[in-house]
Amino acid sequence: MKKLYSKNISFVILVLAMTFLFGCQDSDNGKENEFIYWSSNNSNEIDYARQIVKKWNDSHADYFVKHQPVPEGQSSEEVILASVVGGTTPDIYSNMWEGDVEAYAQAGVLIPLDTLAGFMEFLYARCDSSAIEEVRSQNGHIYQIPWKINPIMLIYNKNHLAAINLDSPPRTYSEFMEAGKRFKKDLDGDGYIDQWFGYSEVLVTWWQRFFDFYPLYLAASGGAPLIKDNKANFNNKYAVEVFRFLRELYRNNYFPRERLSARQDPFLSGVIAIRFTGPWEIAHAEQYKPEGFEYDFTSMPVPDSSDSIPYTYCDPKNTVIFNTCKNPQAAWEFLKYSMTEENDLLFLEVTNQLPRRSDLLENVNFDSYFERNPMMRTFAKQAKHVRGTDQTPVLKEVFDLISQEYEACVIYDRKSPEQAIEDAAKAVNLLFLD
Amino acid sequence: MKNKLTPYLLVSPYIIHFILFVAFPVTFSIVLTFHKWNIISPMEYTGLTNYIRLFSDATFWKSLGNTLVFLVIHIPLQIIVALLIAEILNQNLKFRGFFRAAFFLPVVVSGVVVTILWQQLYGFDVGLLNRLLVKIGLSKIGWLTDPDIAMPSIAIMATWKNVGLYVILFLVGLQTVPSHFYEAADLEGATRWQKFFKITIPMINPTIFMVVILSTIGGFSLFIEPYVMTGGGPLNSTISAVLYIYKQGFFYYHMGYASTLGIFFAGIILLVVVIQKKFVERD
Repeated sequence: MKKLYSKNISFVILVLAMTFLFGCQDSDNGKENEFIYWSSNNSNEIDYARQIVKKWNDSHADYFVKHQPVPEGQSSEEVILASVVGGTTPDIYSNMWEGDVEAYAQAGVLIPLDTLAGFMEFLYARCDSSAIEEVRSQNGHIYQIPWKINPIMLIYNKNHLAAINLDSPPRTYSEFMEAGKRFKKDLDGDGYIDQWFGYSEVLVTWWQRFFDFYPLYLAASGGAPLIKDNKANFNNKYAVEVFRFLRELYRNNYFPRERLSARQDPFLSGVIAIRFTGPWEIAHAEQYKPEGFEYDFTSMPVPDSSDSIPYTYCDPKNTVIFNTCKNPQAAWEFLKYSMTEENDLLFLEVTNQLPRRSDLLENVNFDSYFERNPMMRTFAKQAKHVRGTDQTPVLKEVFDLISQEYEACVIYDRKSPEQAIEDAAKAVNLLFLD
Repeated sequence: MKNKLTPYLLVSPYIIHFILFVAFPVTFSIVLTFHKWNIISPMEYTGLTNYIRLFSDATFWKSLGNTLVFLVIHIPLQIIVALLIAEILNQNLKFRGFFRAAFFLPVVVSGVVVTILWQQLYGFDVGLLNRLLVKIGLSKIGWLTDPDIAMPSIAIMATWKNVGLYVILFLVGLQTVPSHFYEAADLEGATRWQKFFKITIPMINPTIFMVVILSTIGGFSLFIEPYVMTGGGPLNSTISAVLYIYKQGFFYYHMGYASTLGIFFAGIILLVVVIQKKFVERD
């Protein structure tokens, strides 16, 4: 009995000790000359990060970088949030969505990079002034390095457009409507349309608007911000025009109200002729396209009155240094190294994503890549006319409110575009009163 | 001394678990209702602001209304269908064991899998149900795209998913009804319906109440179905209270407000269950 008792005690003590040992583990990232670097966990980016880290470690004995893909989770954003809450952030993270940074900056968990020696000089050499202003925080500091972009453009099926006698993709809203009218069909004769001109996810989820409303708004407005001076800036004719344009697409059955995402890819299977997407579509299309399938990309459609080159949303992912980093200046040296011309080219080659630098088309070092990947050249051209997100900690709420009105007006036609935009703006302004 | 300590040590895992995973989170949630907190910034005391916001939050009241619509459709449907199937399976059928297992199968299949399957059935253009409707000359229905129909569609799916469990409960109830009641009724010339309503229903009343309570609690926690199938749309017509709380908490990190909604919603569930309990006791 005594033996059993002492066994019980030992077991309970062991359990408690383990709980406290692992539960209270110090989140300290270690030495000043060793950095933990998290990259995206997509296989190409892991490959790139491994190569870059190996090159750095081979040539820099003084600072050792330890690479690790961001741990698996429902999304990398959630994992980063959990690591911030748990105090287990890496020193460097290279896949931070631009829209998340302001909240972290205001929470004081990021290093203001503009305080590091050589940072601003590097930034001015790499990016144009609009990209720099885009990432400037509300408090005037810069907490992120514009790193990579994937501009949203219009992908189109060349054969389908040729079948409706179009030599080039539609550029304006009127051309778009005309193409939609010619293309939509009831293939099986059941009285319902089953071939639509295009498709965009009808879900009300806030980030879906990065693939329809937002790039169209940027295209129409010449890249105007949604939020300015902590107030809604989108209650203007451009947003109304975009809502009206999209509403007409659904009203006329040029776009389906049904979700097509659970079935075979509607673009590659020819059920739709266009959609709004990014350069990641190239690898997907090349792998799964049927024989004879031809496609290309063009800019987002614009209102008929517009004659300038359309802007679009670029889905920017940037690099940050967390305040758990013991030696931010040295961490910055690694980041600077990872974004040299040579290493940006390596990034482009390995991941087929665009580094956010202003000389992509002018720098001869990138020429051979774009010659081998002509579709990426289209994205590189568009990269001169892109916007990321506004710097506000309530960005998701802003997009959610717009998305609610989008659904009511565009998808279900329950509100006029004017009313929907006005209601969204009112609700957004209330957010800033809190 | 040692012997006095032993019981405490033996119950300590449960006590620790209770403190860590029940008492602390509940207390912390209540504290959070008086604060604004986005997880990464320090908490900010806001007094009753979250409660005031709750009463003027149209989407929250809509989500409560949606949950009520779901319950009003789901509970009676569940009871009628489960009772009907149980009554059939209580007869001397061939392959009775197989049918019992077959009806129970959806209960053990993952909710997400069932939801994705039904999403395919409910598809407007390529869904099996609409194809059948068109084949017999009827119009297609926007099962998940029509704001007036989406929640009933989810209720039908949830009934299909859960009915097996209630069939088992009703089967147990039916088998406790003494057979001589029916024999006596047969002698008196009672019809099948008379036997069902005058003997079966009163005798399985406790089971019916149990099913009502279980369905109510299950229905209040409606989440996976609208989350996967509709995201709460169209036009917020399928956003359930739990889904709305989840969105506030884990989409927007309004932890204080999400806690307020959660505590308020828990109060509603408690109230409903207490009323049902009183009703059962009175019966």
